[in-house]
Amino acid sequence: MASTEIVDLLWTWTPFLAGGFAWNILISLVAMLIGTLFGAVLARLRLSGPGPLAHASLLLTELTRNIPTFVFLFYLAFLIPAEFAMAGDLYAFPVWLKASLALSVAVIGFVSDNLFVALQHRQNRNHAATLLFIPSWTTYLLIIVMASSTASVIGVGEIVSRCNVVIAAVGGDETMLWVYTYAIAYFLLFCLPLNWAMGYARKRLLARIEAAAS
Amino acid sequence: MRAPGWRSHPHPANGSKAAVMARRLLLLAVWLFPLLALACGRTALAAPPTPADRLDLIEKRGALIAGVKSDYPPFGMRDGNGRLIGFEADLAGELARRLGVRLQLVAVTSTNRLQKLEEGAIDVVIATLGDTPQRREIATLVEPSYYASGATVVAPPNSHLSTWADLRGRKVCATQGAYFNRPMAQRFLLELQVFNGTRDTRLALRDGRCDAWLYDDTGIVGLLADSDLANYETPLPSMMVSPWAIALAASERGSRLEQVISDTIADWHRSGWLIAAEQRWAIKPSRFLVDMRELWTRLQPDGRPLCTRQSKADGDQWPAECRNRFLLSSADVDGIQRFGLLLKERAGFDVSIIHDAYDRSLFLHGLWVTLQLMVACIAGSLAVGCLGALAAEAGLPWLRGLVRSFAALARMTPPLLLIYLVFFGVGHVIVSRFGWTFDGAAIAIVCLSTYTGCAIVSALLDATAVLRQQQAGFALRWRTLAQSLRLAYAPVVASLINVVKATGMASVIAVPELVSAATAIVAERGNAAVMMNVLMITYFLLVLAVVQFFNLLERRILRRGEH
Repeated sequence: MASTEIVDLLWTWTPFLAGGFAWNILISLVAMLIGTLFGAVLARLRLSGPGPLAHASLLLTELTRNIPTFVFLFYLAFLIPAEFAMAGDLYAFPVWLKASLALSVAVIGFVSDNLFVALQHRQNRNHAATLLFIPSWTTYLLIIVMASSTASVIGVGEIVSRCNVVIAAVGGDETMLWVYTYAIAYFLLFCLPLNWAMGYARKRLLARIEAAAS
Repeated sequence: MRAPGWRSHPHPANGSKAAVMARRLLLLAVWLFPLLALACGRTALAAPPTPADRLDLIEKRGALIAGVKSDYPPFGMRDGNGRLIGFEADLAGELARRLGVRLQLVAVTSTNRLQKLEEGAIDVVIATLGDTPQRREIATLVEPSYYASGATVVAPPNSHLSTWADLRGRKVCATQGAYFNRPMAQRFLLELQVFNGTRDTRLALRDGRCDAWLYDDTGIVGLLADSDLANYETPLPSMMVSPWAIALAASERGSRLEQVISDTIADWHRSGWLIAAEQRWAIKPSRFLVDMRELWTRLQPDGRPLCTRQSKADGDQWPAECRNRFLLSSADVDGIQRFGLLLKERAGFDVSIIHDAYDRSLFLHGLWVTLQLMVACIAGSLAVGCLGALAAEAGLPWLRGLVRSFAALARMTPPLLLIYLVFFGVGHVIVSRFGWTFDGAAIAIVCLSTYTGCAIVSALLDATAVLRQQQAGFALRWRTLAQSLRLAYAPVVASLINVVKATGMASVIAVPELVSAATAIVAERGNAAVMMNVLMITYFLLVLAVVQFFNLLERRILRRGEH
């Protein structure tokens, strides 16, 4: 395959693949949203002092930590029906939402742990340390974006499954190598700058904490 | 030390041993409860949320949603624009036309077609589905059948295969969900390597990962048309010839939808429409369609057609002569155990891994492979992490830069994509240049270990930076590695636990681990609720065991640190 051919091929399919990557972002953001809401409730309960609520919250947090997301994805894909009937109307349960739900379990555990620490810092009026939650949250979003590629195994039309569609439609051996590499480039271009920015933010915050301590 | 907010998955080891145990048990109970609730509630949840008849739903929606294959030319495939076309897509189109609704095609695989049907995502499956008694238990298979196929193998040139017995004990690639996988594996003692889709199986055969490909004889023509399999041969006779049926959800048995489709197929046979469609797609003329046309146009002595529906009293069925007589009897349930069957009969839980020897060995083998994957990934990640950190700290600035940038890149590459890229993309280049093939499990271990190892490199380097602040002249060497590891214990263990959880990803390249085993059993038996719960609980307990192991290790290390 000549390099111009490869560029041509990738260029032709770029709108299709970029649309797939948009799905990855959407799935991840929804997973973060759901996970943050529930995780925040758990973190709040853990701060409620000794008692059954705090204990149950800790248990739930531990539970979410030990659930393997990849297996849970299959679990939800198989066990949530695709359509619900309510009051005579049909509501579809989209498969991408199943992916978001599966991913959100990991987010719940993460938010519960990290927000718990952040809220403790806020109680101690250590605001810089509280703010550390933001870069941690964003870095975790990147982990979820990468994990969202596994949604392809349950048939979500995100970038990896669209890669497979392109490969099936175009054929040829080298196509595979280039299409997958191209898809990886999307993840790198999205994640690396954000990761660096968050690393910088974290460094600045840590410097502020140290300055305040000395 | 690290910023307090950094630890993403801390596993604190506080509390006495008994308290920890109690908590674990409670945790397990909390976990099991929703699972069982889900399992029980499933019947209520998944019970067809449809109006009395699916046909009403289709008319209300104005569209027929049909599942067809996308990787089985010329029966179901994609054209240059990614649209689904083929012999079976045409059947779906004609069906929709007769129902007077639009057609919406959905790509399905052998693994998920009956599942999608059961959960209501699609109305009908027209996807090379062979009619077997077992499948009749989990779906409604419409008679008459519209096509038929048998099992044969595709082998590389000069394979020297003359009988099926020649394949005994050899590695044979197969596609998940094919009805003949299990009986053929049992009868000829094949060592099956089961892949998720036709494309993946084709690549595996071409790259020499197996000696032959167990395949549907109808698919062979489309397969051999492909240039890179042009010289491949089909040396063995077809076995287990099975008719193909259009499938509806199990709840549609006897419904109007079934009747309409059944009448339509009968018309197709009578008018020769199927033979015309076969010609249109340049499929080798099938004996089955010729025989069926003859059967469905045959007249009785009194001049009436032989195949007409019998009276209501006889269940409105086609006469026995016009039904599938040559159904397979693969339901050989050996090693029956009372408990499993009792559960199935009393509670409706089909725990086939208890009462069925084949499913049980599949599952246990999956468990064994998963355990090996977990151990290998932990060891591999630690090796990559430690060697990477040592290389970065070796005192060579260029090496440090190289390791750091490689680690940053690898951490931002989704492991699933990495596995695809290495297994299919790079794997093929290596095979065609050097003739080397790599085991799928090895590739999964390398990819997952690299991804996780790079996170460990960063953790170790951060810990080393802290140690350097505390002790002037600290340098990360083989001897001081333990010190850095101890300081970076929490993030390193969090990474290792994540890799243990991710081992299921190896299933995408046909490594026969737990997820593969569970989905294969579901594809065959349709016991999704039970198998998914079994899978989830097994995985959960495995992860819990690994977490416990690292907690124990941490206590040991802390105790030693105190002395």
